[in-house]
Amino acid sequence: MAGVAAPAAPWRVPDSTPVAPGPGAAPAATPPLLHIDGIGKRFGALQALGDVSLSLRRGEVHGLLGENGAGKSTLCNIVFGIHAPDAGALSVDGAPYRPKDPADALRHRIAMVHQHFSLVDDLPVVDNLLLGQARGVLRRREYADRIADLSRRYGLGLEPFKRIDELTVGERQRVEIVKCLMREPRLLVLDEPTAVLLPEEIRSLLQLCRQVASEGCGIVLVTHKLAEIREVAQRATVLRGGRVVARSDAPDREIDDLVRAMIGRTAGERAGGAGSECSRATPAPAPANRPAADPALMLDGIGVRDADGVERVSNFTLTVEPGEIVAVAGVEGNGQSELGAVIAGMRPPTSGRWFVGGREVTRATPRELTQVGVGVVPEDRHAVGCVLEMSVAENLFLDQLHRYRRHGALDRTRLERDAADLMQRFDVRAKGPGAPFASLSGGNQQKAVLARELTRRPLRFLLAAHPTRGLDVGAVEAVYDHVRSARAQGVGVLLISSELDELLGVADRLVVMYRGRLMGTCPAEPAERERIGGWMAGHAA
Amino acid sequence: MNLPLAARFGGRQARAVGVSLAAVLGSAAVAAVLVATMGLSLADGVAAFADGAWGSAYALGASVNRALALALVGLGFIVAQRANLTNVGGEGQIAIGGMVAAAFALNPHVAALPLGLAFALPMLAAATAGAAWGALAGFLKARSGTNEVISTLLLSFIAVWMLYGSVQSPALLRQPMTSSSTLPESLPIPESTQLPLLGADLGLPLHVGLPVGIALALGVAWVLRRSVVGVQLRAIGLNPQAARRAGIRITAATVGVMAVAGAFGGLAGAMMLQGEQWVLKAGFSSGYGFDGLVVGLLARGSTIGVVAAAMLFGFLRSGGINMEMVAAVPTALVVVMQGLIIVAIAGASVAFEGRRAVP
Repeated sequence: MAGVAAPAAPWRVPDSTPVAPGPGAAPAATPPLLHIDGIGKRFGALQALGDVSLSLRRGEVHGLLGENGAGKSTLCNIVFGIHAPDAGALSVDGAPYRPKDPADALRHRIAMVHQHFSLVDDLPVVDNLLLGQARGVLRRREYADRIADLSRRYGLGLEPFKRIDELTVGERQRVEIVKCLMREPRLLVLDEPTAVLLPEEIRSLLQLCRQVASEGCGIVLVTHKLAEIREVAQRATVLRGGRVVARSDAPDREIDDLVRAMIGRTAGERAGGAGSECSRATPAPAPANRPAADPALMLDGIGVRDADGVERVSNFTLTVEPGEIVAVAGVEGNGQSELGAVIAGMRPPTSGRWFVGGREVTRATPRELTQVGVGVVPEDRHAVGCVLEMSVAENLFLDQLHRYRRHGALDRTRLERDAADLMQRFDVRAKGPGAPFASLSGGNQQKAVLARELTRRPLRFLLAAHPTRGLDVGAVEAVYDHVRSARAQGVGVLLISSELDELLGVADRLVVMYRGRLMGTCPAEPAERERIGGWMAGHAA
Repeated sequence: MNLPLAARFGGRQARAVGVSLAAVLGSAAVAAVLVATMGLSLADGVAAFADGAWGSAYALGASVNRALALALVGLGFIVAQRANLTNVGGEGQIAIGGMVAAAFALNPHVAALPLGLAFALPMLAAATAGAAWGALAGFLKARSGTNEVISTLLLSFIAVWMLYGSVQSPALLRQPMTSSSTLPESLPIPESTQLPLLGADLGLPLHVGLPVGIALALGVAWVLRRSVVGVQLRAIGLNPQAARRAGIRITAATVGVMAVAGAFGGLAGAMMLQGEQWVLKAGFSSGYGFDGLVVGLLARGSTIGVVAAAMLFGFLRSGGINMEMVAAVPTALVVVMQGLIIVAIAGASVAFEGRRAVP
């Protein structure tokens, strides 16, 4: 491992030839800066991390890759003392490290920048940095000087007396980073720092990472954007489902392998593999058979800008025929969520138009979409799909309660009888229709949401966004069986997921989204895997 | 719903009642200690309190009327609360209701209406005006996300000062100025517009507002527990995103629910004017709106809770006023007691439920 005496590990610029800082190059005697050994963490029924090991040298930028829910944040939170691991051990510079809380982690000079900032908008930069650090007398001048020093040294361009609400998101993040740097950390954890940044801000952040690392600090950079890893990371670890599925000592050269590890390639492990062949044995009714029918979904040049004016979806055009399953593949954060929000009616597109069954629904409300026959399995089940505190029956018919009115009152007897029917048909296991929705397991919750969305009449089109996230293998199969039977009834389905194997197993056609654009379309055949992987990594066809 | 009744209501409900009782008794004990330390006679104080709260038919009726106004505001509060909206504008809604009821009642055409319309019309007008006042806050919330706590509170100040202005101006509601000592208040409303008494022979000042209030309480309980709208409001309150996705009209519900809350406040104002005070003066609402808010908060979403808390506060107020007049115990003591009860009940619920909320 890199020696303590040689902190300035050669870090990389985008297209530099690989200088080998490899583990073998340095004397193995000095312990790594951070060593994570067989960490496990369980939250209730969810095994968030299992047997995760990782080590990081001084001066190293270590990329931590993985999809949402892969366990990256949990791992960071363990390093920063927010969670205690159930199993395994950590050590820092060879000494056992078991932080009680973040304050303890900071005492060990381990700092973290969270995805969400903790800044007081109405106070100037300097006061925000004083908070939690200063004791007794406020030496504002002294702090301001230190901030100015750090800002100069790292080219951050921060003015100590500017108020936070006058700063851009990128500048606010730099304030958070300065907050860490003032503690002279030996390890800096950055949890998805680039998710909120504009492209030029990302570049300067990565430059900052290089500089801080060159001074001997270790950096854990969490992201699911591969370009960043390629640019700054000397090493990378990929988490998937809470386990380490790949490591690389030269991520810039092995980026395609990392993509595959991130999205999962092991056939048979998931619903894909063998199952995919079965499903293909009964091919979908070819769209050509019914040329007269209007497409189930037609997106015409859809564009979405977020509140900061960043284009998240650009000029996205796609058609889904009745009885067709089209998959949207791609690494998460490439505009899929925004596209899903448009189709769910939760936000109108900023440009373009879209149609369901030939009717324009560009600015339709969720209610109107339901009336034209749009079912939605939302990406965030808990936030949009259900009301956890209400009963299963109420959730199953939340949008149709008016049909259960008897003498003005809600006819709970009939509601619960119908709910029990639906629960049986969709194999939703719960104590009963009156059980609180929160008491159901994730798989049963998802089956209940599917039951609601697939039994809508009329139903022309179904959007299923990450319908299998967090589900076990059995539940995954059940979900896709229902999706397939919807297809058999002539419903057009748009399936958004980052689980490529699942998509290949169930979809008829596959498109790839990258930075909000449609990169390419191909039949959902395993043989296309290489091409798809390339599109996902941003290589044009 | 298949659960036996006892399992659904048993533990939690019983504990809520126990906690409330303990809070009331505890704060009464503290109040007793305070009376004693002030060197006043505890026995006199207690006797005066009991006398004022329920000692005579008149006192009993006055306490119930106070409770009625508080309960109406509290009912409106829990309706809005179901959709996760907090109406703190009861005071202003009462003022608007009182003002509009006075304007209608003082109109000779209205006073001449037959079939009880003379007193019903001002009440309806007051409820409608209160609804509009409340809907304004709902509209601001739905349209531009203005926090309804702030907007209803500020609208309250506007309404209270509008009332003040209306009784100062002879062009509006002030009685004709016959001398320089004419008070800035309205004429008494005609007898036909006053709420008919129920137990006049018994000397009970109870009026028809009471059965109206009881009917409304039953109505609110039914809407919240049994109706489709009740479930939809609950969905909005618990998860507005999911409710929107399920096609529930959030904007309409927000405006509607605030209108209902305002209507209850307006009606309370009308009943205070037409049932007890008969004259509109500055300071007409005198804190009922804020006490009603506390009633709603303490009820924690339950209609029975509203009735119980309103009764408690109604009797406390009546007894407190008499205690000051007869036994020289300051009314402030009643306010202290109210505060203690609130803190005790709120503290107990945090202690019980806060612990459960920790994962």
